[in-house]
Amino acid sequence: MGKYIGKRLFQIVILLVIYIAVVFFILHAMPGGMKALFISNPRLTPEAQQAILKAFGLDKPPLTQFLIYMRNSFTLNFGVSFSHYPTPVWEIIKERLPRTALLFITATIISFLIGFHSGKVLAWKRGKAVEYVSTIGGVVAYTIFTPVLAFLLIWFFGAYLRLFPLNQFLNPDLWANTSFSSQVIFLRLLLTASIIGAVILVALILSYRLSHNIRSRRLIFYIPTISSVVIAVFIWWKSPYGIYGADILWHMVLPVVEVTIISYAGIMLVMRDSMLETVKEDFITTARAKGLPDRVVRDKHAARTALLPVITNFIISLGFTLSGGIITETLFSWPGMGLAMYEAVISHDYPLAAGCLIFTGIFVLFAHLVVDIVYAFLDPRIRY
Amino acid sequence: MSALLSIEGLKMYYDTQKGSVKAVDGVSFQLKKGESLGLVGESGCGKTSVAMSIMRLLAENARIISGHIYFDGKDLLTLSEKEMNKVRWKGISMIFQAAMNSLNPVYRVGDQIIEAIITHEPEVTFEQARERVKALYELVGLDPGRMDHYPHEYSGGMKQRAIIAMSLACNPQLIIADEPTTALDVIVQDMILREMARIQKKLNMSMIYISHDIAVIAEVAEKIAIMYAGKIVEFSDSKTIFKQPRHPYTIGLMSSFPSIRGSKKPLVTIPGEPPNLLNPPKGCRFAPRCPFATNVCLEKEPPYKEIDKEHFIACWHPQGVKRGAEDKDA
Ligand SMILES: Nc1ncnc2c1ncn2[C@@H]1O[C@H](COP(=O)(O)OP(=O)(O)OP(=O)(O)O)[C@@H](O)[C@H]1O
Ligand code: SF4
Ligand SMILES: [Mg+2]
Repeated sequence: MGKYIGKRLFQIVILLVIYIAVVFFILHAMPGGMKALFISNPRLTPEAQQAILKAFGLDKPPLTQFLIYMRNSFTLNFGVSFSHYPTPVWEIIKERLPRTALLFITATIISFLIGFHSGKVLAWKRGKAVEYVSTIGGVVAYTIFTPVLAFLLIWFFGAYLRLFPLNQFLNPDLWANTSFSSQVIFLRLLLTASIIGAVILVALILSYRLSHNIRSRRLIFYIPTISSVVIAVFIWWKSPYGIYGADILWHMVLPVVEVTIISYAGIMLVMRDSMLETVKEDFITTARAKGLPDRVVRDKHAARTALLPVITNFIISLGFTLSGGIITETLFSWPGMGLAMYEAVISHDYPLAAGCLIFTGIFVLFAHLVVDIVYAFLDPRIRY
Repeated sequence: MSALLSIEGLKMYYDTQKGSVKAVDGVSFQLKKGESLGLVGESGCGKTSVAMSIMRLLAENARIISGHIYFDGKDLLTLSEKEMNKVRWKGISMIFQAAMNSLNPVYRVGDQIIEAIITHEPEVTFEQARERVKALYELVGLDPGRMDHYPHEYSGGMKQRAIIAMSLACNPQLIIADEPTTALDVIVQDMILREMARIQKKLNMSMIYISHDIAVIAEVAEKIAIMYAGKIVEFSDSKTIFKQPRHPYTIGLMSSFPSIRGSKKPLVTIPGEPPNLLNPPKGCRFAPRCPFATNVCLEKEPPYKEIDKEHFIACWHPQGVKRGAEDKDA
């Protein structure tokens, strides 16, 4: 297992180097080359221009420039943003990345759980009316143009029902007199979510290690999971920051729903397909012959094995979900990486755009790694 | 002694777009406790369909038209799914035709056996179940250290043995082995079959071996039922079937296979193909291929009756060829 992860990590570093090289060549292929893109902005003072020229070695030969650029990328030096002058690009990314990560990870987990279960149940109910209706619904959700879905959500929940705020990351009136920045609260939210996630993961692993009985497994899993959530909610409730945290979460609902729907349909359809294939396998007949209850055959034998292609497919559709994420952030004014990238391109802020591009790549490669590791855990044929 | 398993007039058809495939069409036989039966016939004659009807693991388009399957006094066809789940594996276990793919690739082999034990005997603890699996592994000639490995780490022969161990896990009264060794090479095949016969005798279980190879079956089964196109055409103890087959189809099958002692006589296969079960011939189903067929064979179905003690056949013109005599002819 360790060897497998090491190998994957190595591959990912190689991919990253190639990716950064591609970004570098794109920058050079632009009119005027990187030099023009990075320093030709009226807002930069001559000293600042000199500093950037030196930091990126922009007057050196191309190969040296390339090596400098590579080194700068790995040390997170992406130059200075034009539109947020004089903030360095890395500072902006550092602020935006966690917002995108939270949006993306939350939506992914939700869509995965719902997609997995509904695909499973639909395949098991093969031939019934529910199956046809939901499959058609899934195909519609899968093919719908992302902005159309966003406008529908904004119109229905935001404008018509007035259930959720229309856009932005927070409600400015509420935050007008606070002494802390929204980023502080947001990072605490992120920390809380990570702790709960870690507790759930540990509980899941422990429940399988410690017990062979379904009932006690459930107890070992659900008690820490539920109590960690309850404790977290209680602490936030009691703290003076509670209302601000809630405000951010409130603003997060619609974008999360949007990204969830985008990725849900694909997962559900693949799961359903994979499940229909799996139930034809001989080991499912064996499981039935063993006299296992229908539900055990479905969940423990069919769904567990049918899950593998869903995960493979998830890796493939990662880019798709991410581009949906960028559109979503733009339409809901969620100030994450996607919006930053969009704004940078619109305002010709090339250093920021290049930085965002590289970080999006890192994000995808990292997600890839995580999914690979999860897959290896689930499929013993890979693990050994 | 009354029969452990008694099948009476079982008919099971598959609904297809072209009509009903009459895969099992009036099958009756009995099996006593501790007895072993070989169910023999060419590919497609409905052997697996009989087995799947007994286990009630039928395809979605399968339909049981009529008949009874009495097991241990109960008619399995009238049980609820929940009651049937209690019979499965605990009463009757099965080794499937595609034994190589019968194990779930994502779980340890031992755990898959333990799962069966704990499902049927909830009072057994995990450790006790592991002990039992260990003993089963030894019984079938597998290294017990292997039980924590995954199916892909097993060779074909080892998987086969693990599946035999699994079929024994709940001490069933009956095991149905559907072509348990076809995926293996001949030497391993012979060894495993002999071992199964030994275990079956030792534990006094009933057994149904399914195969298209009558020679292999005659080695291990006490009784043999010959199946042709959805019907049983001859039934007797294996010695009688082997020495004195009376049905023309059985005689044909005998000459299709070289005797196991390896005489090098050429294979005489039965000319022609089994009939399409969508629309079988109206008289005797074997008539189009039978060298002894007469008009009555084409018109009327031969009744299934006892022509000797415990020797049943369905044929208008029973043959009396002795196996030895036929050998010399060939
Ligand atoms: N689900 C199904 N739908 C339609 N026809 C089927 C179905 N399953 C089997 N059949 C047909 O029923 C007949 C009997 O099949 P069965 O599998 O019982 O034969 P078998 O004797 O076990 O053959 P083999 O030696 O090849 O395993 C065959 O003609 C087969 O084509
Ligand atoms: S009934 Fe007639 S056709 Fe059928 S097996 Fe006997 S002799 Fe042949
Ligand atoms: Mg078969």
